[in-house]
Amino acid sequence: MPVITVNLLDFSQLLGRKITIKELQDRLPMMGTGWEGETEEGFNIEVFPNRPDLLSIEGLARAYASFSGEKIGLRNYAVLNSGYIAIVDDKVEKVRPYFVGAIVKGVDFDDALIRSIIQLQEKLHVTHGRKRRKVAIGLHNLKPIEFPITYTTKPPEYKFRPLGERFEKDLKWMLTEMPKGVEYAWILHDAAEYPIILDAKGMVLSMPPIINGEYTRIDEATRDLFIDVTGTDLKAITEVLNIICTTFADRGASVYNIELRYLDKTLRTPDLSPKIWRLSNKYVSQTLGLELQPKETIHYLEKMGHSAQGGEIMHVKVPCYRTDVMHPIDLVEDVAIAYGYDLVVPIIPSLNSPAGEDPLEVFSRNLRNFLVGFGYTEIVTFMMSNREKLFTKMLIQEESIAETDNPKMEAYNCLRNRLLPSLMEILVNNKHHPYPQNLYEVDDVIIVDPSTEIGARSERRLAIVQCHSKANFSEIKAALESILDNLELKIEYEANGWDCFIEGRRLTGKINGVPLCWAGEIRPEALESWGLEMPVAALELNVEGLHKIFS
Amino acid sequence: MNPKEVAAKLNEYERKLLLELKDRGASRTSELSLEMGLSKDAVEKASAWAETKGVISFKEEVSRFFKLTEEGEKYATEGLPEKNLIRLVLGGISELSKLRAEIPNINIALVWIRSNGWAEIKSGKIELTEEGKRRAEASSTDEEILKIMHDNLVTEKGLYFPFQARIPVLIKRGLVESKEEVDRWVEPTEFGREVIPYVIAIGNKPVITQLTPEIIQGGIWRDAIFQQYDINLPTPTLTPGKRHFISQVIDYIRRFWVELGFKEMKGNYLELSFWNFDALYQPQDHPARDLADTFYMKTPYSGHLPNKELVERVRLTHENGWTTGSTGWQYIWDPETASRNCLRTHTTSLSVLQIAKLKPEDLPAKFFSVGRVFRNETIDWNHLAEFYQTDGIVVGEGVTFANMQGYLKAYLEGLGLKKFRFRPAYFPYTEMSMEAEVWIEERQGWMELFGAGMFRPEVVKPLIGIDVPVLAWGPGFDRLVMQTYKVNTIKELYGNDLGLLRKAKLWMR
Repeated sequence: MPVITVNLLDFSQLLGRKITIKELQDRLPMMGTGWEGETEEGFNIEVFPNRPDLLSIEGLARAYASFSGEKIGLRNYAVLNSGYIAIVDDKVEKVRPYFVGAIVKGVDFDDALIRSIIQLQEKLHVTHGRKRRKVAIGLHNLKPIEFPITYTTKPPEYKFRPLGERFEKDLKWMLTEMPKGVEYAWILHDAAEYPIILDAKGMVLSMPPIINGEYTRIDEATRDLFIDVTGTDLKAITEVLNIICTTFADRGASVYNIELRYLDKTLRTPDLSPKIWRLSNKYVSQTLGLELQPKETIHYLEKMGHSAQGGEIMHVKVPCYRTDVMHPIDLVEDVAIAYGYDLVVPIIPSLNSPAGEDPLEVFSRNLRNFLVGFGYTEIVTFMMSNREKLFTKMLIQEESIAETDNPKMEAYNCLRNRLLPSLMEILVNNKHHPYPQNLYEVDDVIIVDPSTEIGARSERRLAIVQCHSKANFSEIKAALESILDNLELKIEYEANGWDCFIEGRRLTGKINGVPLCWAGEIRPEALESWGLEMPVAALELNVEGLHKIFS
Repeated sequence: MNPKEVAAKLNEYERKLLLELKDRGASRTSELSLEMGLSKDAVEKASAWAETKGVISFKEEVSRFFKLTEEGEKYATEGLPEKNLIRLVLGGISELSKLRAEIPNINIALVWIRSNGWAEIKSGKIELTEEGKRRAEASSTDEEILKIMHDNLVTEKGLYFPFQARIPVLIKRGLVESKEEVDRWVEPTEFGREVIPYVIAIGNKPVITQLTPEIIQGGIWRDAIFQQYDINLPTPTLTPGKRHFISQVIDYIRRFWVELGFKEMKGNYLELSFWNFDALYQPQDHPARDLADTFYMKTPYSGHLPNKELVERVRLTHENGWTTGSTGWQYIWDPETASRNCLRTHTTSLSVLQIAKLKPEDLPAKFFSVGRVFRNETIDWNHLAEFYQTDGIVVGEGVTFANMQGYLKAYLEGLGLKKFRFRPAYFPYTEMSMEAEVWIEERQGWMELFGAGMFRPEVVKPLIGIDVPVLAWGPGFDRLVMQTYKVNTIKELYGNDLGLLRKAKLWMR
């Protein structure tokens, strides 16, 4: 989740009062952010993905001013009419279909604002913008731009002077030679033509989502801005535009809209008016388990930057930057946060319902406890494995197993279909500890099974390894018989089994005619491939199969 | 301890030793060995034990001994070859050829008579010098030494001084070897002397150390005394069979939820993305669904979506909110993406599957699960690809946010935590979302423990068909187990090091 860096002095100025790190450390987490520690100039704060409006210091200060009770209720953001027009060419439909924009005037670009805006833009690109694919933002000096502007596409050989370059370059060059272009080229990968924003003079403002033109470079003298937001999702780009415009407005700038002429519709952006939600006070109280009067609920909503009117049924004005509100439940949470999670009194309700453990788990626990009586040590190993461990080292022929498509580590690229290899690995890792090492595990393996909804199922197994200088077949067979005797089960042996065992010293055990256990002495070739110099006698049992007999 | 108690704690040998020393004072263990008819080793062992009980003092003295080698012993009986040689020469045999037959190791003898200046060899004959003649008649120092040391150990101090000076020469010649021997001296302490009368009082009664069937059957114990043991003495370390600590914790967590009236739910490790994400109202372009975080399956690649009606409700909810009162995520939902198989990233997939199985008449209901979950991580000391989680849900009309805090407060207290708090958090499928944090004294800060929340109506209504509050949580417990077992890294926690497992304390809840 994104972390933003906040300058304490700047934050205090936006808030309009002095504030201590201590207060912020205590209170900001209770507002719904993550405290990431103090810095030299202030502090770092983690912003949750549902609150992109807090990615700017202005937004954070605005929210905290309400939350701490200093400036509660809805803030109104006026939008003036600029009269400017932007035309959206239908050629963009295939590559990057949506475009919105705004004008802000009277911006006083000091260091603090520049830092905050750069940070906001960067974090919005990463999170809400899905690395600029879904949303990309461009800020321009308004001065040179001649309206109407056009959002269109141009072929790869089309040329303009990108920001920071001395000469004109073609679009192809920008995607293959320029570092920023290379980084984001994947977004436009199979497009025949690339998105371009042009003004009435044919000058290039931007090649979204890659780079702006040198033409609209912002400098210290810039006071008026044109903002473009392009992307694949109209809702998302509109939200981002609102967040940026309100950030500038909080710094004293005036916001003007522009008219967007799509082929099939005309829009005016930004629209910074609040959305209205209908909320029942009873719903709020019942969900939270708090007995709130409507006016209390209204007060808590105001502490979260909303305003509300009404009684049991109220109408809540939700500010335009609160892009996360999609259901009344989101307002209920705001009430809970304003009330204080730490002031809620925890109560376990009286609520009767059937209880109990899963029968297979009960059976497994009984087995685990029983095996401790043998003096065995229980181990708990990973289900993820690889073919080398499962087959090559065990000298077992390759079988169909569940495999992952995109493992970060090849050592963990599939799921085990036997427990025994996991136990062998633990023996290898413990060669420096005294023997005997008699270990067991009761856990799941994954069996590929096309008859299931998913194509695989899990199976509970039990495995034992006895590893010491005199480990042998009769010892492991004795253990097997003791387990089965205590379950009052009869077993029939077959003198064959898994290839990891020595021929003539291995068995497959059938219970009620079903093969459910495999045991024997591990072949020296297998010991050698694992790097073990101590004899191992081993056993694996299908616990799920046994359990079925009893249920 | 008083002398009487100590007397009762002495074993048979210690008592014998003390009685033996009663009139002797300081004695060598070698002498005591002869007197007591015990091996020297036994005497020394008894002395060492007795010393720990403060009844005797024990001193060591290192002394040097000399002893003839095999060759030295031979010369002690047969005479030194060089002396034998000059005697024969003096007796009239001077031709080397004849002498060779008489003296087996004549070459050694020749070396010595020449280096000692006893004789000269001229054209096959030996001519004695004056010194040689004198020596042939008299017995030499070396011969004296051989005689004294024949079949005998001699201490350095026990040798006549001029003889001592010759010893290095004989050692060099390989006739004498030196040995160091440690003499151990024992003597009763002041306290030991106080103990002696009590030892005498024990007298000849048999003293039992190991109680045996024979002693019990024969009734010997009736007239015997039991040697009393020093209970502080160390005993051998046992390595009993043991449950793994994680497994013990899982048992406890299971018991904990059952005691609170929860029923266990089970399900698949491999799961449709539908159950892991879509049914939890996670939009299909959500970063958590990235290949970077989630294991998707190659085999089996995809599965069958559940019944059409349910899938349709989930689709509509994602796209426009369906009848939940929500705006939805406002995008086109793709059934292909939902039918892709993955390894469950949380056991919350079990919770939604469980809710989908419920009918309104089954409510209220409480469920829990404990199980492994998987994350596509690069494994290092603090990141693993699989770990445990325990999920819980409470489904029922009228359950509240305050109730959720109630259950989780009980859970945290059940794990022995005292200072914790709940703060706002964010998860795409809950609202209220909440993070439980515990205060870490050493760090003077809050540590995140787990997330919890009330499932959004967009999650619940498509699954069960009605709008009903659902409390949900999904704690991992690795960090708590790490704290309890003083394990510093998560890799060690799942490392199955037998050293750690054999030492690990029992889970005591």
